[in-house]
Amino acid sequence: MHKNFKNITAVVVFILMGIAFYENFQLMPAYKGLGEGVSDYIIRSGLSETGSLNLITAVLYDYRAFDSLGESTVIFGAVSGIVLILSRKMLPVSSRGLSFIVKRTLGIITPFIALFSIYVITHGHLTPGGGFQGGVIFAAISIIFSIVYGSAFDYRRYSPQMKTAFETVGALTFLGLGIAGIFMEGYFLHNLGFLTAETGTLISAGSIPYINMGVGLKVGAGLAIIFYSMIQKTFKEEI
Amino acid sequence: MMSLRLVISYFLMFTGAFFALVTVLGLLRFPDVYTRIHAGAVVLTISGVLITLGTAIYVWEFFLSAKVVLIGIFFLFSNPMATHAIARASYSRHIALPEEYEIDAYSEYLRRDENANT
Repeated sequence: MHKNFKNITAVVVFILMGIAFYENFQLMPAYKGLGEGVSDYIIRSGLSETGSLNLITAVLYDYRAFDSLGESTVIFGAVSGIVLILSRKMLPVSSRGLSFIVKRTLGIITPFIALFSIYVITHGHLTPGGGFQGGVIFAAISIIFSIVYGSAFDYRRYSPQMKTAFETVGALTFLGLGIAGIFMEGYFLHNLGFLTAETGTLISAGSIPYINMGVGLKVGAGLAIIFYSMIQKTFKEEI
Repeated sequence: MMSLRLVISYFLMFTGAFFALVTVLGLLRFPDVYTRIHAGAVVLTISGVLITLGTAIYVWEFFLSAKVVLIGIFFLFSNPMATHAIARASYSRHIALPEEYEIDAYSEYLRRDENANT
């Protein structure tokens, strides 16, 4: 009885999913060739529809936002797998790091790296860049901490719990904007109309900058977690 | 007729390019790690700074020039720092053996440090 119930549920779920996919594919336009298909449409009317000067960001976070959600889920899966595989081993913690000169110089430079990553993330809809690129720059700060100042410094200043919290906040921002799209515009991840402003200003382009921030936090924290769990053995202590 | 600003910027950029050429010559012709690192640290730094200064004078717009000058300042910081880290690592990993050199002031410095500790 129990096994039958499971099978019947699976069959019903698959049939419903098939109907949903069929209905969605019915809505897709037919292939019209490269010259007059979707790409030409996006180039012509992408700016007026999304308000984002950077058309790649417009495609990533408005037209194909569902794909980007899948990509960030892939990053989440990679982080979970790596942490799961490597978490059994104890990490030797190094507290000495590199020499005094390197520490002082990077103490001057690191705030500017953080500022640059924030710039790349928040101007993703105006200039080249965006959440993924800025997130990678953000993750470089954690790598600098653990190589130059020793992984104990990285643990103290930017603990794994904080990284996990950042990643969760990023993913929840993305999902929350998607659900807000359902309630306010009628479609999942639809661009929020009330946030649009004059094209070219910092706070414009609907929900694209906020999705950028979410993806930036998620990618940055995810790559930092990957790096932190991969330093099995920090290099030998310097003399 | 070129203005004085363009002449200055071209002069700075060509001097920087000349120093970059000297860097490549030094990297190819010097015998071992430390002298090559010396070429990469000293000459390449002044080359990069000169080229960024020339570019900043060439574009001559406040924000663009400020950005380019900032890039030059970061280069001025980071390139000697990176070469310092490389040299220190190659000394402590024995990539270039300290015994090969007649003068090894760094090991004397380290030993003096140990003596001071004990």
